[in-house]
This record gives sequence, C-alpha cells and structure tokens, in this order.
Amino acid sequence: MTRTIVDIHVLQTVPPSNINRDDTGSPKTATYGGTRRARVSSQAWKRATRDAFTAMVETAKLGVRTKRVVELLAETIATRSPAHAERSAVLAKTTLEAAGIKLKEPRKKNGEPPLEESAYLLFLSRAQLVSLAALAITAAKEAGDAAVVVDKKEAKARADQAHSIDIALFGRMVADNTDLNVDAAAQVAHALSVHEAATEYDYYTAVDDHKRDDPEEDAGAGMIGTVEFTSSTLYRYATVDVDRLNDNLGDPAATREAVETFVRAFVTSMPTGKQNTFANRTLPDAVLVLVRETQSINLIGAFEDAITDRDNGSRITAAVGRLADHGREVHEAYDEQPVAGWSVGVGERTAELGELGQRTTLDTLITSLGDTVADRVQATL
Amino acid sequence: MSVLLLRLAAPLQSWGTSSRFTRRTTDRAPSKSGIIGLLAAAAGRRRTDSIEDLATLRFGVRLDQPGHVERDFHTARPIDGSAPLPLSYRFYLADAVFLAVVEGEEQFLTTLHEALRRPVFPLYLGRRSCPPSGPLTLGVRNQTLEDALAGTPWQASPRIQQKHRAATVTLDTAVDAPLGEQAQDVSYLVQDEPVTFAPEHRQHAWRTVIAGQVTLPNPDYMPTSAVGDHDPMALFGAS
Repeated sequence: MTRTIVDIHVLQTVPPSNINRDDTGSPKTATYGGTRRARVSSQAWKRATRDAFTAMVETAKLGVRTKRVVELLAETIATRSPAHAERSAVLAKTTLEAAGIKLKEPRKKNGEPPLEESAYLLFLSRAQLVSLAALAITAAKEAGDAAVVVDKKEAKARADQAHSIDIALFGRMVADNTDLNVDAAAQVAHALSVHEAATEYDYYTAVDDHKRDDPEEDAGAGMIGTVEFTSSTLYRYATVDVDRLNDNLGDPAATREAVETFVRAFVTSMPTGKQNTFANRTLPDAVLVLVRETQSINLIGAFEDAITDRDNGSRITAAVGRLADHGREVHEAYDEQPVAGWSVGVGERTAELGELGQRTTLDTLITSLGDTVADRVQATL
Repeated sequence: MSVLLLRLAAPLQSWGTSSRFTRRTTDRAPSKSGIIGLLAAAAGRRRTDSIEDLATLRFGVRLDQPGHVERDFHTARPIDGSAPLPLSYRFYLADAVFLAVVEGEEQFLTTLHEALRRPVFPLYLGRRSCPPSGPLTLGVRNQTLEDALAGTPWQASPRIQQKHRAATVTLDTAVDAPLGEQAQDVSYLVQDEPVTFAPEHRQHAWRTVIAGQVTLPNPDYMPTSAVGDHDPMALFGAS
C-alpha cells in the first residue's frame, strides 16, 4: 500500500510579541531540554490556519463551527425556498434532531426568545447545510399542512457526506452521535522556541489628553500598567496524513486542494493575540516540506539543546544548520528516505536546507507538492 | 516470551486516566490505554474494532527522564462570535522520556513493530498535539518484561546523562501485576485497562500495578581518577 505523509517544518522569528497567553496574561512557555522556551499552543495556530482558509478557498468548501446550527440551517432553508421561510426554524430543528444532533434552549438573552442551540460547537460544512436544507424542504412539501417527518437515516447520511476541507483536516467531534465523528488528518505540534526565551515586562503610562490641556491639573498619567511579552525564533511542525485526508474527503481533487491550502495557510498565518500592540506579523525565515511514505517525523530533537550565543553565526543560521544536520542524521540512522522535498528560505543563510529539499519559492513548492500528492493519491485508487 | 520496546520522547506528552470535563490532567507515566491505543492506531484499527488481543499484552513502563508537569490554559470561541465555551486547563508532561514495554507472543509483536514503522493512522503521545520526537520503536527482543526494563540502556537525553554524576542510575518502573499475584504485592490500581475505544461506550477496567525500581549503568559516566591520589597533607610531611 502506498502511503503519503506530508511533513511541514517552519523556522520563524517573531519580534517582541504576545501572540498566545495564559490566564495571567503571560506568553505561554514550556520547558524542553532543561531550558524554558516560548510556546505557542497547537490550538492557537490551528485557529489561525483555519481563519486563513477563508481568504484562500471559496466559502462553499469550508465548514462553520457553531452552536447556532438551528439559526444557520433555518437561514439556508429560507434562502433556498422563501415559501418555507416562516416555518424554517421548525424545519431546521426537526431535521437536525433527525440527524441525531441534540438541541437545547440557550441561555436567555434580552429581546426575543432565541432559537435552540446544539450543546457544543458543531462543525458542519456548507455543502452539508445545503443538503440538509434540501431534505427539509422536500419533507415540508410532502407533508403539506401535516407535521413534518424527516427520514432519520437520510438526515444522518447527509450530515456525514461532503465534508469541508477544514473538517477533513481538523476533525469533528459530535458527542451524542459518534457516527458523525471525523478523525483529523492533520496534526499540529505546539510551536517552541529554539533557544531559551525569557518573558519581559513592558511598563507603560497612558496620557490623559484632555487633562494635559488643563493648566490647573497636574501632569500625571491617566493610567499605568504592564504588558508581558517575549521574542523568539520558533520551530513549528505540522503533518498531514494524505491517505486519511482522502478518506475523509472522498475526492482526490479536493484532497489536493486541501493539502495545498493547508500548507499555504499554516506557513503564512499567525495567531492574532496582541497583534495591534506589537505589529508582530512576520513570515518564516525557512520552510521545509518533506513527503514521506512511512511515518511522519518531527525534527524538534534538533533543538533539544537550546541554541545559545556560543553557536556560530546568527540564531537563524544556527537553527537552519541544526535542522539540516538532525534531519540528515535521523534519515541515515533509520534508513528513512523522503519521496520528495522542497525548501523555501530567506537569504543565503538558509541555503543548507537545500540538502534536504530542493530550494524553491513558496508558490512553486505548493504546486509541486500538489502534483506529487495528486499522482500518489491517483496511484492508490 | 518476547517484548516490544518503545521510546516515548517529545517536548510535551499527556497521559490522562482520570480527566473529566474542563480539567484535563496527566499522570506521571504513560497509561496502558494510551499505549494500546497507539498500537491500535498504528495497525489501522478503527475505534470500534476489537482490541482484545492488544489488551492481553502485559505492559510495563520505566521513567527514564521523568520530566515535569506544565499547565496550559485554553480558551475556545465559536467562529460566528456566539457565546464562548468553558475555559479549560490542560496538563502536559514536559521534557520527559519513557521506555514502554509490551510483552507477548513474538510474531504478534513483530507485526506491531512493523505497523509502528508505517502507521496507518497518525501517532501521538497521549494527545494529538504531542507528536513523538524521533522514531518510537526500538524493536522486538526475546526476553521477559522485567528483563527488558532492567537491561535496556538508559534512554534519557544525552544532556541528562552527562549531568548525572554517578556510575549508575536508579529509575522507577510500573508494571502489570502478573495474573494471580498476591494482593499485598500490588502497589496501586489505575483505571486504564482498555476494554473498548468505541466512542459511544468507551470503557476502561481497573489495572493492578506493581511499582519498582531498576538500577542501570550510566553510559556517560567518566570516573575522575585523580581524586583518590591527591593528599593535601603530604605537603606537611605528615603520613
């Protein structure tokens, strides 16, 4: 059986920033190799990746993650069949319950009584919503004035077909109807800094403009505070199991598009935490994408010993060198040979990654990766 | 009896056996359900498939580098801006390395070793965001679980081995009590014996564990020979 696994390694320098913080406002950290590192949780970067999808693919191919499924389906029904607009909320509720999704009254808010919600965040693709709406409309037409009955088997089947690319990549969990679960095909590791990273504190004062203009008043600040921040060069890793992705999507063309979108979005996105305070948007210094046919391999081991000032050259040069050496050593020790590989880097100091993956630009990398993935998925059919 | 050896290393791992609701804890050592789940995933079994054959494997683990517990604060918000979800705390074991051993019939273990080399489903150490660092399997050996734990070289990272300034190192172990073991020999019970991973009725039975220790040579130990010969009093002519 041919297997296809895509490993994505990214080295990225982030200036003073606080893109992912804990409940006390400190940037998240973790100890690795005995030293404290800056950390960005996998969940934070997955969210940023998924948000980036909206700019890259048609909305119709994406999913919606919400508790307000009744409202969403009712709107879809009303748009597609204005004749049923008045009954759309009831139709939506009946259809979702037929699919095995439990609904409950939401907490009361001001104004009109809100519609029922699912008990947890439910991930539905747009195609699934449209298909469920069509089922509801047909059922309503058949029923006429009588109570609407929606075929349970059909409703469940429609909620389990035509997954969006984000559901196929990140998975779906439906607590009270496990038949609708989708196992994620992508895995994202927590990003860690390749060096020891300290948290620093920025003390600030804010001027009260109006008070300053009043000669009677003192010159004191209107407010004082501190913001915590850190600055780091991160190693980020994600892996996509193309075979599982194709199982979830059931369509080689969609699989190719999902892989391409994921790689572009993962590489170029950044969580939005304190973005306006620090304007910390950067692009990666170096990207390495390897296609494997056995197991996915996380190369974080290259940075178990934190990079220090004793390492030659800049931090990026040292990190690139470590990543290239470690990759080569792991490949040699375990007789692992990637099927294909590409690297993208800024400047000469990232050239060493060319030994592991052919040096190119991001666009070419994604197209070549797409071609490789499409060929290999086709071969397994 | 044969054993399959696994080296579990990663910046973060998480092995919850009693997590409920918004507090997702981790034990200090890998759980049997976690390891059986890992083997089942590698072999391509679905959650609803039988795991009877896997659950009969005897399981033991050695804490080669215990690591420490880190707390992660987690928020979630629906993309449509409706009410946010409950805040949750997730606990991870950072910087840890374990040797996990399963004991069983050689042929079966060899298939599992091959499956780990080419896993059908993506593998992770307790939680999906914790992919392993470096290959997992150290292969199949013809020995008992106890001999494997006492005889396999120390798997801690070179940094830890160099820092440990002694010729030997003593490591904690936790192994399945053999069937019919006297009750007083059992150290503790943990509810991580997987019965089924089927999502509708996931079930774990209680497992009896014997805690122990093994002492191994430290491969990085370098005796400083000069110390024994140095006699500061010699200068004074005393003997």
